[in-house]
Amino acid sequence: MGQELLQGTLDLMVLKVLESMGPMHGYGIARRLEQISENLLHMNQGTLYPALLRLQQRGWISSKWGASDNNRKAKFYSLTKSGRKQLMTEEENWGRTAALMQRLLAETSG
Amino acid sequence: MTQLRILFARVLGLFRRRREEHELAQEMRAHLEMLTEEIVRKGLSRSEARYAALRSFDGVEQNKESYRDQRGLLWLESFLLDVRYGLRGLARNPGFAAMAILTLALGIGANTAIFSLIDAVMLRSLPVQKPEELVEIQRLNPRTGNAANSFTNPMWEAFRAQQDIFSNVFAWGDDRFDLSNGGQVRNANSMYVSGNYFEALGVRSSFGRLISPADDQRGCPAVAVLSYGFWQENYGGAPSAAGSSISLDRHRFQIIGATAPGFLGTEVGHNFDVALPICASAYFDGKESRLDHHSWWWLQLMSRIKPQTSSGTLKAGMETLTPGVLAASLPQNWPATAQQNFLKLRLVTVPAAHGLSILRRQFKQPLNVLMAVVGLVLLIACANIASLMLARAAGRNKEIALRRALGASRTRLVRQLLTECLLVSSAGALLGLVFAYWAAGLLVRYISTARDHVFLNLAPDSRVLGFTAAIAILTGVMFGILPALRSTRASLTLAMKGKGDPEGRGRSQFSGWIVSGQVACSMVLLVCAGLFLRSFAKLITLDMGFDRNNVLLMHLNLETANVPPEQRPAVFEDLEVRLRALPGVVSASRSWNTPLTGYEWNQYIHPDAPNPPTGEASLAYFNTVSPTYFETLHMPLLAGRAFNKQDAKSTPPVAIVNQTLARQFFAGLDPIGRTFRKDEAGGKLGPPIEVVGLVKDSKYESLREDTYPTAFFPIAQITPGDGSEESFELRTGVRPSSLASQVSGAVASVNRGISVDFHTLAEQVADSLVQERLLALLSGFFGGLALLLAMIGLYGTLSYLVTQRQTEFGVRLALGAAPGSILRMVMRDMGVVLAGGLVAGVCISLATVQLLQNLLFNLHARDALTLLASAGTLAAAAFIAACLPAYRAAHVDPMVALREE
Repeated sequence: MGQELLQGTLDLMVLKVLESMGPMHGYGIARRLEQISENLLHMNQGTLYPALLRLQQRGWISSKWGASDNNRKAKFYSLTKSGRKQLMTEEENWGRTAALMQRLLAETSG
Repeated sequence: MTQLRILFARVLGLFRRRREEHELAQEMRAHLEMLTEEIVRKGLSRSEARYAALRSFDGVEQNKESYRDQRGLLWLESFLLDVRYGLRGLARNPGFAAMAILTLALGIGANTAIFSLIDAVMLRSLPVQKPEELVEIQRLNPRTGNAANSFTNPMWEAFRAQQDIFSNVFAWGDDRFDLSNGGQVRNANSMYVSGNYFEALGVRSSFGRLISPADDQRGCPAVAVLSYGFWQENYGGAPSAAGSSISLDRHRFQIIGATAPGFLGTEVGHNFDVALPICASAYFDGKESRLDHHSWWWLQLMSRIKPQTSSGTLKAGMETLTPGVLAASLPQNWPATAQQNFLKLRLVTVPAAHGLSILRRQFKQPLNVLMAVVGLVLLIACANIASLMLARAAGRNKEIALRRALGASRTRLVRQLLTECLLVSSAGALLGLVFAYWAAGLLVRYISTARDHVFLNLAPDSRVLGFTAAIAILTGVMFGILPALRSTRASLTLAMKGKGDPEGRGRSQFSGWIVSGQVACSMVLLVCAGLFLRSFAKLITLDMGFDRNNVLLMHLNLETANVPPEQRPAVFEDLEVRLRALPGVVSASRSWNTPLTGYEWNQYIHPDAPNPPTGEASLAYFNTVSPTYFETLHMPLLAGRAFNKQDAKSTPPVAIVNQTLARQFFAGLDPIGRTFRKDEAGGKLGPPIEVVGLVKDSKYESLREDTYPTAFFPIAQITPGDGSEESFELRTGVRPSSLASQVSGAVASVNRGISVDFHTLAEQVADSLVQERLLALLSGFFGGLALLLAMIGLYGTLSYLVTQRQTEFGVRLALGAAPGSILRMVMRDMGVVLAGGLVAGVCISLATVQLLQNLLFNLHARDALTLLASAGTLAAAAFIAACLPAYRAAHVDPMVALREE
């Protein structure tokens, strides 16, 4: 995967992580993203925060302060109902796009 | 829905800034700490781990900034911040702020003032209901293509009889009446209106009622409607004015009401005081009433057209009714060919939402020229402020570099600097609006003359305010954008190291361009000013053929003096004798007309000489004068004799002609003793008139005219009109206007009922040059201003350049360079800038001045002398502006300069 994230991809990934892992703080989300991508995705971790704010403003995630594993004060993000719905739509869209791209690439190379 | 929620969240973000800022910092700190701990667990030292964590964050502050972008309504938030920052910056440097704001206030004010005149004269719609539905009716001469908008009353009555798409046609005609009953004349601008005039325009009354169709019938009672302004001024706005009467040219009219405020009439530039029904003109005309006159063109026609009427329908409608109108109003006494031409006239409609205006025709081009002039002045002022901004930005290099290093984006910084500029230009514009309102009023008073009082509505409307706002923004961006872009481009490291100006060379070159541009603009303005000033000088120093100084003119009217017509000449003669005897009066005379009034009296004449001119070339202009007229006006008699007491009704008719008439009608002959005949009514020739004298050429109607062939008749032999009015000329040994009260006394001692209207011949000449004087004065003023601004610009730029290169000059001097060579270096810099500007200025001038040609008198627009003089003035000014900086450069103390480095 390239260095740059596709526009909107980060949003989808964050939503997916929150769906599968439950409420998480920013650092946790960043860690999780790196783990899943097996360090292929080198992300500027700072860009995560504007994305989190964006998702909150759209009402897809909510946040509240809580304590982390080692008892540090941290903000925890969780998926809202409309966020879940949004994730479903996005997943579907993404699946369609991916399938289309696959077909197209197979066609032209074959 | 989502959009709304986002907006709401963002607006909320504006108010919770402080708390959110704290939370954001805390959240990021937590993130960094957790990341650091993770790395420490992998085995790095704490400090190395912290560093690595920071690195993976790629700039904490930058990320915070983009978070902030996401959070609130950034533009509003940062705009408020920028305004605060800008105000702080300006407050730190109040001298700069004050100068910039004042310069702009003048520049923007001048632009707004001229624009508000253009708006008032050309762009504003009439303040009536649905002005866009109004059309003016014009008559087109198909042979010459000339259009005119005056009509006779029979034509108007024929129109009124038509019931077609033009059922809403209405008419009016301007006139002027004397409000006084003898003594000093007080004029009221008046108009005759058709009965449906106010109704068709949708004008309401502020009290009483307005003229209605019932008031406009032949033999109507004498009623008058006042304008709101006149009512306020003369009756204190009291409704009791209704029922009282007003005296107009010694006829009493009953006041029935006043119009609503805001309505000034249909002629832009001239408000009306009193309106009468058209039929009331019968009160003022003698036997020959203009109501039935077939060649007295005194009415203007307008119509209201339904909005959906197409131009085709309009044209077709007009074509159908034209033959009927023309046939019904054909002048029966005209010769057959003239009648045929009359029947060929075409009637057309033109949109008239802006009303009619003689002023518009007269001042359209001068106003456009002045708009261009003040635009250029503003451009030059902008360039000066841009130079100042540039120098100021250089002082801020370090600050800007620091802020960029701390994460401010370039757009953000440019926006911030621009906000500061817009603050300056907005302040300038606000102040400029005040200045403009005052200046526009002053200009209107300036173009008003005794004869022609100009009245314009100058209250700023949305168009003027929009214009001012637009130029405020435009100027702010114009003088702000380049300095802002340049100062944020500087290399960070160099700037941080305190290397004041890493691009010193480029910057000074850039300032050089600005100053060259200023010089070019100033050159154009100077050429413009030079042309108008020279043209005006030619006009006022022109040999007018008479001496305008120390002459008091009076217009006397006997109508209310109860003098029987047959005694009028004797009364005037008696007055002439009495006035001549007044102390301070050197010479007195009387005449039908005086020079440059704009009135003319002419007729075709037939000389008793071979090959006389025919057609239009045989037209001659006349005046009747008393024997001392030429002596009083200092018009030298070149041959023959002056009139004397023997020239009377009972003796054969005689005339004195001017040189032009002698040359055109008696070519190569001695005109004295020759005769000519005038065309008289009915195609007959008048009796032969003997030429007894030859007088020097003088101007008749306007200074711009080619002298008219003129014949003067003895006032005792010929009486134009009914003989109730004559003009008097008094040559005085003292200031002419100081005699006015003595003269009034002398006139009143003969008859209290005689009305007198005073002015001086010098005023009359000056009033005929309003347009030329306005152009000369304003273009001269702005040309001077442009020169001053360009000098300041050049001085500032050179001073800055010298300061920049102080070290270099110091080193040069230390190594033995002569101060003179340094001086020459600076002067050379100035020379390059000047030469560039001059060349550009000359090219622009040559390309554009042709547009001014028809505003000039006896002067070619591409006048070499004016071009040279302008270039010379600019060069001299530039040299003066460069002296001080050059002197400073040559006297840099090497030690001081080197120590600073």
